[in-house]
Amino acid sequence: MIKYFPKAIVIMALSCAASSALAASVLKLSSNVFVESTITLSDGSNKAVLNKPTTVLPGDNLVFVVKYTNTSPKPASNLLVTNPLPAPVIYNGSHDGNEEVSVDGGNSWGVLSALFVIETDGTSRPASMRDVTHVRWEITDTLAPGESGKLIFRGIVR
Amino acid sequence: MEHDREINRSKRHINIQRTWTPNGGWVANGVRSLLIGSAFLTLSSAPSHAAGTIAGTIIENTAQATYTSADGSIIEIPSNIITITVDELLDINVVSNDPGDIIALPGVTDQILTFQIANIGNGQESYRLTADTAVGGDDFDPALQMIVLDTNDNGVYDPGIDTTYVMGANDPDLAPDESVTVFIITTIPSTQADGERAEVSLIAEANTGTGIAGTSFDGQGQGGGDAVVGSTGAIDESSGFFTISKAQVTLVKTATVLDPFGGTRAVPGSVITYNLVATISGSGTLTDMVISDPIPASTKYVPASTTLETVSLTDASDADAGAFDGSEINIDVGDVAAGETRTVTFEVTIQ
Repeated sequence: MIKYFPKAIVIMALSCAASSALAASVLKLSSNVFVESTITLSDGSNKAVLNKPTTVLPGDNLVFVVKYTNTSPKPASNLLVTNPLPAPVIYNGSHDGNEEVSVDGGNSWGVLSALFVIETDGTSRPASMRDVTHVRWEITDTLAPGESGKLIFRGIVR
Repeated sequence: MEHDREINRSKRHINIQRTWTPNGGWVANGVRSLLIGSAFLTLSSAPSHAAGTIAGTIIENTAQATYTSADGSIIEIPSNIITITVDELLDINVVSNDPGDIIALPGVTDQILTFQIANIGNGQESYRLTADTAVGGDDFDPALQMIVLDTNDNGVYDPGIDTTYVMGANDPDLAPDESVTVFIITTIPSTQADGERAEVSLIAEANTGTGIAGTSFDGQGQGGGDAVVGSTGAIDESSGFFTISKAQVTLVKTATVLDPFGGTRAVPGSVITYNLVATISGSGTLTDMVISDPIPASTKYVPASTTLETVSLTDASDADAGAFDGSEINIDVGDVAAGETRTVTFEVTIQ
């Protein structure tokens, strides 16, 4: 147990720093996760519906929605939104296709087709959706006061 | 496969970030994120296997953002955290481990059928077992002696070592992906005629519950979520078969010699043609018969000289029934009904 103490202290210290940043923040970031299911309507057609789950099953299709809003009276720029992918979730693409992904825990970034994975035996192979650990968006346009946007990506429960 | 890949992925993380913390991939990841400015630890562990994420695993999602405010300062903010629990999926698979019908004689005890039960769900689950010896559509019903669990996990019934199954007392309790071998031990009735066949099935069902896919047992899943019936209905069965067979085989081998001078003397250079006739007597069918014969000392096999029912066979171990491995011929004759014969010939030269 003792060896964990220093880490705990570090985390607390950084949490405090983050809280003060939060207090000064004028940008609001909210995250939502939905599970997508298909229901059959009375006319026999199928419709995809999104529900907010508290529990899911392996194979469930998830839709992640990250919403950002500039709540200040002043513009905000250089917005970079990052979502580390929960380990039990396989990345399944984004809505706008403008994202960068990382397959190495956030060390390096790029479009998925340009990334490679180094195997334990030293060989490399093209990265796939299953390798994605992080997804992020750089919003190049300055965000005017009151302006908001949504970033949407999909995942599958492993 | 998924399991292996997950391990590899964890290893990659550990390798990349061991300078931050030596004691864990995802912890390392979280610490690293903090150092570049994230406010929240991403402490996710995802034990993964063929059936998917283990029941009870918590999926936590949070996003973070950095931006430049109007006064030029760089600000970092987190989003809220969404927490979702992975439910338990109840799924099971039962297969017969027997390569085909088990050949049995009338009136014999301890006749064994072998099955494998696998937990293909994502949570720890116990299963109750039932043997059905009275399956319809077959010729007779063996008498059930007992169901036995392969306690020492060697795939073979070991009397006195493997445990007799008692429903409710020692239901196999299997982790995700775990499997257990189960034996159904029966007695064949003494009145059965040759060629008659019996079907015996083993049924295994999840103790938490069964039903149509999607049936939910609230709060009964491993890790506190729900238990949800998967595509197998959380119940499965597989059948094994006994066939009564009194068929027996007799093998008669004869040889004819042709010497280099047109005579029948056994001298160096003479060719001996061996003739093997397998005759199946009694009744029923002899299954998977293989005829093997080593090449005699001081002789040399004549390549590609083997025939089965006068049809030439190649020496390679391939699609046809014959193979020569350098020391003996092996002819995979297959199933032969009583009353039939199979004739194999091959040639050697005397050295």
